[in-house]
Amino acid sequence: MLNNTKMGAVGERSAVLAFKALGMQVIPTSTEEETTNALFKLKKQGIGIIFITENEAKQAEEALMRYRNDFELTIIPIPGSNGSTGYAMEIIKKNVEKALGANILFEN
Amino acid sequence: MAQGKIVKVAGPLIVAENMADSRMYDVVRVSDKRLVGEIIELRGDLASIQVYEETAGLKPGEPVESTGDQLSVELGPGLIESIFDGIQRPLTAIRDRVGDRIKRGVEVYALDRERKWIFEPVKSIGDKVDSGTIIGIVQETASVEHKIMVPHGISGIIKSIFASNATITETICEIEDEKGNIHPITMMQKWPVRRGRPYNEKISPNNPMVTGQRVIDTFFPVAMGGVAAVPGPFGSGKTVVQHQLAKWSDADIIVYVGCGERGNEMTDVLREFPRLHDPKTGESLMRRTVLIANTSDMPVAAREASIYTGITIAEYYRDMGYKVAIMADSTSRWAEALREMSGRLEEMPGEEGYPAYLSSRVAEFYERAGMVKCLGDDGRVGAITAIGAVSPPGGDISEPVSQATLRIVKVFWGLSAQLAYMRHFPAIDWLQSYSLYLDRLSDWYSNNVSPEFNDMRQKAMNILQKESELEEIVRLVGIDALSWKDRLTMEVARMIREDFLHQNAFDEIDTYTSLEKQAAMLRLILLYGEKGQQALDEGANLSTVVDVPVRERIGRSKYIKEEDLYKFDEIEAELLSQVTAIDEQGGL
Repeated sequence: MLNNTKMGAVGERSAVLAFKALGMQVIPTSTEEETTNALFKLKKQGIGIIFITENEAKQAEEALMRYRNDFELTIIPIPGSNGSTGYAMEIIKKNVEKALGANILFEN
Repeated sequence: MAQGKIVKVAGPLIVAENMADSRMYDVVRVSDKRLVGEIIELRGDLASIQVYEETAGLKPGEPVESTGDQLSVELGPGLIESIFDGIQRPLTAIRDRVGDRIKRGVEVYALDRERKWIFEPVKSIGDKVDSGTIIGIVQETASVEHKIMVPHGISGIIKSIFASNATITETICEIEDEKGNIHPITMMQKWPVRRGRPYNEKISPNNPMVTGQRVIDTFFPVAMGGVAAVPGPFGSGKTVVQHQLAKWSDADIIVYVGCGERGNEMTDVLREFPRLHDPKTGESLMRRTVLIANTSDMPVAAREASIYTGITIAEYYRDMGYKVAIMADSTSRWAEALREMSGRLEEMPGEEGYPAYLSSRVAEFYERAGMVKCLGDDGRVGAITAIGAVSPPGGDISEPVSQATLRIVKVFWGLSAQLAYMRHFPAIDWLQSYSLYLDRLSDWYSNNVSPEFNDMRQKAMNILQKESELEEIVRLVGIDALSWKDRLTMEVARMIREDFLHQNAFDEIDTYTSLEKQAAMLRLILLYGEKGQQALDEGANLSTVVDVPVRERIGRSKYIKEEDLYKFDEIEAELLSQVTAIDEQGGL
């Protein structure tokens, strides 16, 4: 089942709409509630990878936490229309720090 | 009887010669100070005597005189509301006579010989009576009707019996036995403390002793006529648990034995009990209580006797058909007294210096508890529930006294220093404690409390067990590693701990919780857990489920008065409406 996992995109309308062209399920959202509900809906449909714009991801941090340990669903933050805010990198850094006990991804 | 002579004095132990006439456990009077002692070993004409009073100043050559009686207690009206020392000397009367500190050799009758009681016969002339038959009643206190029974070993036909206003030593009835001997009966009888009082038949208990303490009644109930132990390190609240049981359990009579503990703990009892009211009769709690005090500064040998004195008084009231609860605080101090005497007797020590017969002595005490069909013609049933505190040094229950106790008792309320440190009281550790009466009592709970009560208890216990597993994970990898469902389980477990198990003994309302209220509280918490999980399934966020406003009301539900139990329905309605609101807002 994991081999033909479907993909989806959630977040800022202008950033995620393009994914529709690739045949993904796209739900544009702007509030925390909308994002939470969108994630829940996609998860229910059995979608395995969801791209989410950084701003919305940050807003709906709690909802992201919910799926953090879900091995059937990966949520990948992507930059919004205004470019990256560094949020995604922050999450990676945190995870690396947790795994290794030290930060090895220095800024420079 | 021949007079003996002291040959050796070692603290509370005295060896006397020329004692060949005496028997084991005879009471003796030692020296011309007339100190009370008891023979605990006989070897040739040498007798080892434990003396229940301070032996300073005694020397070899002083006389010892056997009384020929065994160590006995006086049983009759006047026991209730009294405070006795370990060998049933009335402390109030002693204070009136000699002041605050007991002087040596004081001889005071255990029961007041002057006071008059109104005796009302329930049998009449010509009735055939047996040992244990009730011949009349005396209103001992406002809560207790004292039943005067035919003493053991006497049976026959009542020759005379009269309603009277008499003292406990005046004859109120005469019984003629088969041989034509006339036995005068008084309101008082004597019984040797080391022998259990006889009964017809022991029956197995099937209803609980309701204590009003949530963790006990719901999770680890003790049967009426059961035995329980409360081990715990110091400061963990053994005494408070014992006091709470003495105050609120639904027994008719309470015998509280303060055995080798601090004096101020007895003072607490003396101060508080008269102020508190029995929820059943509305009378002061003191009106159903007998206190036996052998505090840590009183002679050690009397401590050994205090437990037996207590249980014999308890048996006497049991024989009247009452439900008696006896609290012994603490049996460890009692075992230490045994150890001290055993050491002085130069017996071969067992584990940790305790005598080899420690466990049989402990068993002897607890085995005198139980529910029985009493002697007599009316088939009345009485019960003794025994609850012993154990103070294992360092809180390590692998020591001999705790182990000997745990082998016998069926309920174990393990107090934990960690919970006490976290200010969780009563600090009864829910993962460690157990009650072997649960199966036997489950029918009673489903018939008398709620049909779903046993299921609710099981569910709540599962949640608490799950919590300890999850806590392990959290300690290793952090709370983030838990799924929302597990995090909600932890929240519910926290509610069970903080809102249900935690009970404030010093709050007027929280100190006692009826079973009905306990069931309602537990139902609310479990309902919240169930509905919360459903909401999560429907897509709700954890924070909205956790922060639902009704939780505060659930948390405060322990302060709902017993007469306002309808409020639980209100909270339940509020809970359902708030959870439905979450579903509508979050669900898809």
